[in-house]
Amino acid sequence: MTEEIYVLGGYQTDFSRNWSKENKHFSALMRESVKGALDATGIEPEEIESAHVGNFAAGLYCMQGHLGAFFTEVDEAFSGLPTGRHEAACASGSIALLAASAEIEAGRYGLQAVVGIEQMKTVSAAEGGAFLGTAAWCEDEAEGIEFPFPKLFGRLGDEYDRRYGLKDEHLAEISRINYDNAKLNPNAQTRTWYMNKEHALSRGDDNMEVGGRIRIADCSQVTDGAVTVFLANREKAQEYATRKGIDLASIPKLKGWGHNTARLRFDDKIAESKDDAYVLPHVRSTITSAMERAGIADVSGVDVIETHDCFTTSEYMAIDHFGITEPGESWKAVEEGWIDIDGHIPINPSGGLIGAGHPVGATGVRQVLDAHKQVTNTAGDYQVADAKNVQTLNIGGSGTTSVSFVVGV
Amino acid sequence: MMDVVAMREAVKQRSLQHVVVLGANGTMGYGSAALFTTAVPKVTFLARSAEKAQEGVQGAIDQVRSHTVAHRAETGSYDDNLEEALSTADLIFEAVAEDPAIKAPLLEKVDAARSDDAIVATVSSGLSINGLSAPLSESFQRHFAGLHFFNPPNVITGTELIGGDNTDPAVLDFLEAFSRMKLGREIIRTHDTPAFAGNRVGFKVLNEAAQLAETMSPAAVDAIVGPYTGRALTPLATIDLVGWDVHRAIVDNVVDKCDDEAIDTLKLPDYMAKLMDQGVMGNKSGGGFFKKSDDGKLQLNPATGEYTPIDAAALPDMSHTDEVVRLYSEGRYEQGMAALLAADGDAAKTARKFMAGYISYSFHRVGEVCDDINGIDRIMGAGFNWAPPSLLVDTMGPANAVKIIEEADLPVPAALTSAGSEPFFHHPTMNPGKFFVAAA
Repeated sequence: MTEEIYVLGGYQTDFSRNWSKENKHFSALMRESVKGALDATGIEPEEIESAHVGNFAAGLYCMQGHLGAFFTEVDEAFSGLPTGRHEAACASGSIALLAASAEIEAGRYGLQAVVGIEQMKTVSAAEGGAFLGTAAWCEDEAEGIEFPFPKLFGRLGDEYDRRYGLKDEHLAEISRINYDNAKLNPNAQTRTWYMNKEHALSRGDDNMEVGGRIRIADCSQVTDGAVTVFLANREKAQEYATRKGIDLASIPKLKGWGHNTARLRFDDKIAESKDDAYVLPHVRSTITSAMERAGIADVSGVDVIETHDCFTTSEYMAIDHFGITEPGESWKAVEEGWIDIDGHIPINPSGGLIGAGHPVGATGVRQVLDAHKQVTNTAGDYQVADAKNVQTLNIGGSGTTSVSFVVGV
Repeated sequence: MMDVVAMREAVKQRSLQHVVVLGANGTMGYGSAALFTTAVPKVTFLARSAEKAQEGVQGAIDQVRSHTVAHRAETGSYDDNLEEALSTADLIFEAVAEDPAIKAPLLEKVDAARSDDAIVATVSSGLSINGLSAPLSESFQRHFAGLHFFNPPNVITGTELIGGDNTDPAVLDFLEAFSRMKLGREIIRTHDTPAFAGNRVGFKVLNEAAQLAETMSPAAVDAIVGPYTGRALTPLATIDLVGWDVHRAIVDNVVDKCDDEAIDTLKLPDYMAKLMDQGVMGNKSGGGFFKKSDDGKLQLNPATGEYTPIDAAALPDMSHTDEVVRLYSEGRYEQGMAALLAADGDAAKTARKFMAGYISYSFHRVGEVCDDINGIDRIMGAGFNWAPPSLLVDTMGPANAVKIIEEADLPVPAALTSAGSEPFFHHPTMNPGKFFVAAA
């Protein structure tokens, strides 16, 4: 990157909250997230020069657009602040981070607020499932289909099965690991939910099928949540370090990024990759380009991964796409315990989307904040020892938009 | 609190392969047993009969909605299976009725049959850990602790951990680490005082609400001490949910053993004792302060024991909550609280008196029930889902907290008069906003 991008810190709301039950407006979610981040870092609102909101579908879930304007409701000092909102389905939060980074690189602003936010519990599960369908080619892949996304990611599993073979027990173990990790994360949505490997493997009313091989235990959650992080250029990061009495070198940076878009329809993606060892080659490219920009040769230079496990099949896909195993051999990493929190390449110590929750537009920002926590040794009970570089993978649609960051010190 | 490195070390010191739950047919018994099956390969459900134990397994399955509980469950009765089950247990979890006369003989049998290294925990909500273990062996006392889950254990994370005078610190460390890392608990270490920390403070507020129902209707009480005062569930509805018998056991135990500045507020109202003689127990007996009927929700007349429809027109004027709720709904909690403090009228005054009593009583218990206010804050937040007392102080400002305490003619905690600009409430992840429900 031409200008270094520092991640000063931020704040995540408790993803187990139901803001509709609390009778709260969207503005309260935004306000708590931004104020929480200001309190956590000691940054004054007057210092923020520009602000970005990542959100998928507030227009559907909350009948509310123009989200950047809600910054002016957070604090009087935000009156006049340049703001905007970004959308790329479940990758919306990462797109907001990319836009903020680009403004820093261009020299426009030195200190930015990025909010990822989604309030989803405003509607029934079926209605919400239909809203999520707009992240696919809605007319072809979602219209009239109940819960279209579990079905699309079930087909990702089917494609793995066809090319390489795939066992349910490995998907169940991925679920088990994410739920176990979530118990360590007080902000995780599922920390009180019942799960173990037998439950994840069970069939029937307790663990209903929602899309081919995808059962309830394979799914990420319907979540209300918001996450704010502050990004800074070197000058602003130095000021922050001086004020905090810490070394600039101890403040994490966005060392690298990757960003690709594949064809929207799932069938078209799969047709394009038929001769490729990777089922979703653009996702692979996103990961490797982030590593390359960070000066990391391969996954051996990554200590922790926060990946997009919207379903167990997407984490299964991520394992070989990160290069932890050869293509088609993700099961080895699951069986050998490599991706457990005490394994050699832990995936989703936070619990990921399955365990921590998936407020769609917030996820990419949540991943970067969790990466920040890991490399600053502030992740509490889900801290991975000696984490220096954390890589994220955030995916919109059925592997359509993918964004990856390397966050490290 | 233990840090993550200390917890990982502590959790490695033991392996929990087998947990035995005593009283596994009760709601706390099977709820706790279900929780253990998330992390332990074998859980034995014991009860007075094998049939009762089997009912417990079904209760656990229903509670967590997973038939896989049965894969890890074994069942048995005290008469036929106690010794055998205890001989291989790594943890024995006692969840029988909250009565020393019932617990004592069972714990004596546990003492005789347990392996020397097995941990014994009681889910007692407030009986003395030292008292329960005093007659038992030195080895038992070293391995005995209170592990007070709140009901339902699979939902409420707040959990009190109580050591006795002779409990091995390593046992407490293990229980904290295991409960936090494997069961997702928020662990609060409390002193071995009657009702520990959460119930001591919480049932004081609940009982004061029950006392207020002697002078106004239950619906009026629950409207005045409503969600906008920093709680999801209103006080009299809470007593109905936990059961009048449980409420009585807790407040009677505190009144019997404690003498504090507000002990009169913990004395069970006479009408509750009389109605309990007639079988009123709250939701479990079909009704308490409130009762469901085909004609809608009914409320108790405490003087007569009769139930009548709730007359909305007879409820107090609650217009002071409109502005509070509007501000809360936008996440403007400090402003909402300021509106509540500034509101005119008897209802607003009574609401402030309840908040004042809660804050004053909590801060006066520091040192007695917990080492610091943070412990009381965490159990009130994670155990009761009430705004922690420190958070109320921060939200209204210490000077205003002092003012409402003085207006209520209650003792002002010294910590509030000497407060600086630092907030009282410290928790890295407990969201303050979740306690300020935007509903009257």
